[in-house]
Amino acid sequence: MSVPQYRKVAALALVAGLGLSLTACSTKGDDDGGTDAAGKVTITVDCQPVAAQKELLQNWNADVTEFQKQNPDIVIKSISVGQQCNNPPDFTARLAGGTTTDVFYGYMTDLQQVLDSGQALDITPYVSKDTIATWDSVDPALKEVFTDGGKLYGVPVKNYSMGLVYNKVLFQKAGLDVNNPPKTWPEVREAAKKITAADSSVAGYAEYSAGNTGGWHFTSLLYSQGGRVLSEDGKKAAFNTPEGKQVLQNLKDMRYGDNSMGSRQLLQWGDLLTNAAAGKVGMFIGAPDTTQAIVSQFKGKFEDWAVAPLPGQTDLAKGTLGGGEGYFFKKDLTPEQVKAGLKWVAYQKLTPGKGQLDYVRAKPQNYPVGLPQPLLFANGTEAQKQEFDLRKANANVPVENFALFEAKQLPIVGEPRDAQAIYAVLDSAMSGVLTDPNANVDALLKTAEEKVNQLLAAGS
Amino acid sequence: MSTRTLVSSTQLKKGRAVYWTLLALVVSVFTLVFIGPLYWMVTGALKTAQEVAQTPPTLFPQDPRLSNYVDAWMQLDLAKLLFNTFYYAAGAVVFQLVFDTAAAYALSKLRPALGNVILGAMLATLMIPAMVLIVPQYQTVINLPVLNISLLDSPFAIWLPMVANAFNIFLLKRFFDSIPEELMQAAFIDGASPLRTLWSIILPMSRPILGVVAIFAVTAVWKDFLWPLLVMPHPDTRTVSVGIYSFAAGTPQNIVIAASVIAALPTVIIFLIFQRNIMSGLTTGSLKG
Amino acid sequence: MAVITAPAPVKAEAGVSSKTNRKLRDNLTGHAFLIGAVVCFGVFMWFPMIRGIVMSFQRTRRGVTSWVGWDNYLRIVEDPSFWVAWKNTFYFTGLALVVGFAVPFFVAILLNEFRHAKGYLRVLVYLPVMLPPASALYLFKYYAYDPSEAGLFNAVLKFLHLPTSEWMQSPTMTMPAMVLASTWMNMGGAVLIYLAALQGIPGDLYEAAELDGAGLWKRIWHVTIPQTRLILALLAMMQIVATMQLFIEPLILANGAGTQDSATSVAYLIYQHGFFQNDLNGAAALGVIMLLVLAAFSAVYLRLSTRDDS
Repeated sequence: MSVPQYRKVAALALVAGLGLSLTACSTKGDDDGGTDAAGKVTITVDCQPVAAQKELLQNWNADVTEFQKQNPDIVIKSISVGQQCNNPPDFTARLAGGTTTDVFYGYMTDLQQVLDSGQALDITPYVSKDTIATWDSVDPALKEVFTDGGKLYGVPVKNYSMGLVYNKVLFQKAGLDVNNPPKTWPEVREAAKKITAADSSVAGYAEYSAGNTGGWHFTSLLYSQGGRVLSEDGKKAAFNTPEGKQVLQNLKDMRYGDNSMGSRQLLQWGDLLTNAAAGKVGMFIGAPDTTQAIVSQFKGKFEDWAVAPLPGQTDLAKGTLGGGEGYFFKKDLTPEQVKAGLKWVAYQKLTPGKGQLDYVRAKPQNYPVGLPQPLLFANGTEAQKQEFDLRKANANVPVENFALFEAKQLPIVGEPRDAQAIYAVLDSAMSGVLTDPNANVDALLKTAEEKVNQLLAAGS
Repeated sequence: MSTRTLVSSTQLKKGRAVYWTLLALVVSVFTLVFIGPLYWMVTGALKTAQEVAQTPPTLFPQDPRLSNYVDAWMQLDLAKLLFNTFYYAAGAVVFQLVFDTAAAYALSKLRPALGNVILGAMLATLMIPAMVLIVPQYQTVINLPVLNISLLDSPFAIWLPMVANAFNIFLLKRFFDSIPEELMQAAFIDGASPLRTLWSIILPMSRPILGVVAIFAVTAVWKDFLWPLLVMPHPDTRTVSVGIYSFAAGTPQNIVIAASVIAALPTVIIFLIFQRNIMSGLTTGSLKG
Repeated sequence: MAVITAPAPVKAEAGVSSKTNRKLRDNLTGHAFLIGAVVCFGVFMWFPMIRGIVMSFQRTRRGVTSWVGWDNYLRIVEDPSFWVAWKNTFYFTGLALVVGFAVPFFVAILLNEFRHAKGYLRVLVYLPVMLPPASALYLFKYYAYDPSEAGLFNAVLKFLHLPTSEWMQSPTMTMPAMVLASTWMNMGGAVLIYLAALQGIPGDLYEAAELDGAGLWKRIWHVTIPQTRLILALLAMMQIVATMQLFIEPLILANGAGTQDSATSVAYLIYQHGFFQNDLNGAAALGVIMLLVLAAFSAVYLRLSTRDDS
């Protein structure tokens, strides 16, 4: 290449580069203010379904259109943040960076983090029957979760508790009774053995052990035994007990005694659900809505799945892990924006027959209706009744798939404080018992206990 | 080109059989080691999930199907991810070439006051691994000092920090140092401005090193992971590596692998086409540098 | 490549006044040319450096930042994963140095001797460098390191009647497996640099050594290595700094911590603290500790390598 030609290319590249960067500049920073000259209030909302969730996305967009028609002075801008609405590193990044949407999604356990970031607005003065028509019916326990120091920071939109999720097709193949799923861990073990015996490529029972999800499920399994992760005052680890040992022993027996958990371990959230959707998992523990995820994201069939109450050691579980989601409001919103946001959340999440509770619309879609969730409204309230009747009338999943789960309401226990840090420690106990045939349950728990105690002592 | 190496030509002629055996062995081992996994990857993504889980694995796909590739392309929006990555890489090349060349030129030829102090402060950062600065850098990007703006999801969050690359400035400066001072003198006496001297004398002579810097910039963007993971949280702004990672947790293995193949194709193809230039550029460049 | 075609005649009679003039002008324009890079260094390197140290002595809670002395450091050091992470990181660095340093060097020596297929081999070695790291690592994770016998490595091992391994699920294999993947995908760059260095060795040195009766190994030991020592030392240093930042390998191959914390690295711990446990200040403190460790290491290294010179 001769010199002049080379120069021309360089100049061209420079111009092209600058041009691109200029356009990149101009696409940014037009969403300030909130209220424009025409008096319209604009709010951004996250957790829009991703494109792969075709029907959910259509529904969401239809809701936005309908809502804006009803409220001509409000403009909703939806943002989709990925497969998981709340992927911890992203979420933390957005919180720290102040780039959350105006109305932003979070887990119940995120309240402390949200408050620490200084990004959350106290919405107590705004929330009432006037902004959210069904507010008085919302379960007070859920409101409590989003309250700190008497101030409300979030609106609950989903609530779940864990049960035993099982694949009916695999149950039948193994000669098990789909209407009589295991009630105790020894029964789970027996069933898992049979499922794997019927098809060696299937894990009879699958469990997490990585990415902090192992610790999360350990907690749930521990609750089922009647144990707790932390002492009452939250200052000491309380899982190095016969209950904790039983949890790990059960897993160890299934993994290496019966070889009924598959050879691939170190699974985290999506790994297990991907396998489950592919028909390679007989049972796992999860909330009823994991079956929705299996269908909408992982392309499984919802007819195949049923949910039973969480098993315990001698009878059904003594307690089960509960959790849920809500929407927070960014600190610098105008009162108009907050009101608009509340209206939207009320419309899309908390009105029976609308938005996520629009069962008539969801029924013909490839999306399960009739799951015993989201359990938002308190028992005996008007909204709860409405929602329940609608759900029953439009159920497209065999109601009996979830009847067992619904009939038996187990005591719900929340997550421990510093959950993520503790889960990271407990991952190691879970991976130990699932990848090492010679794992010593006592030693694993003792190490984890010491680590958690150190962590609690250092963290406060 | 190469004259005498470890083993002399006469020795080679004597041990001809050994040489050819060794060569054949090395060629086949290397092909197996470096192409084998790639072959496995490309064909694996053509198999069904059942076939992948088969023992022993099949060498050729029994029933090759492209659906995994199609699904990967659609589900991960790979077109967007690839475009983003190229866009960031191209911008990084431009920014590095402009600012780092200017800086190296100043430090090498113009030698302003305190130039050595500045160079020292720059070189000191060579010893600081990126991971050490990740948190404060991130804090800086989300709220730039003085300007109080956030660069999250903006390509500048990748381009500007890449300018602060002491290694490139060092490479460029050393190269410029080797250009005789007399040329500068001559240009100056002819009345050429420093910019003009840079443009018409220095740059044309520095093409190999500029090529090396450009290749480094592209590979750096291509290979970087944690930084784009943090500063590009929005799905529309992700790079290809981060995009695959973000979706892997909820996507069947075969589709992840298919996506990985597609993601690798553009650079591999560009590399194979220009490998002669890239190789000689890298070799001579790093030698001179 | 860069051959100076027409060296311009030197005009030696340039006057004194024009020289000082030029100095002044160069000074001004020099700073003008520097400003872009200096601003970027300032904003993205020098300032964060100071800020990281400042942050490590602060704690932000509820949007309020306060000074907390050594609290962050205490918390980090008392974190049960702290020592495990350092142990793992050193282990990886050491192993990667042995494998990822020696292998490319001998590959380069080998390639340099061939008179045929050299270009092909060079392209092969460099090919993995061109893959996005996530691509290469998923290949290893899903296909090569599959713990069942359907996995590529296990199938090969079984074919050869060797014992199979659970790879990333085995605490003892986790690190070697990560080093292997990392070396495969990164060694191309090192090989190229060594090749360049090898080509710079004057042939008569080998000639002379041969006349002295030095065999192949002796020639490598007495000619090749001393002649490339500088570049070897530089690359070793660079590789250590790079491997100390081990992050994407554990994140993808081991889903983070790996089995029983066998993959937890210091960099992963920084990430956990900063972005999972809502503890950016603790992460900053860990960053400062990492910096100190590396600084101490470089000081020792420099000392050793300069002593060699005298």
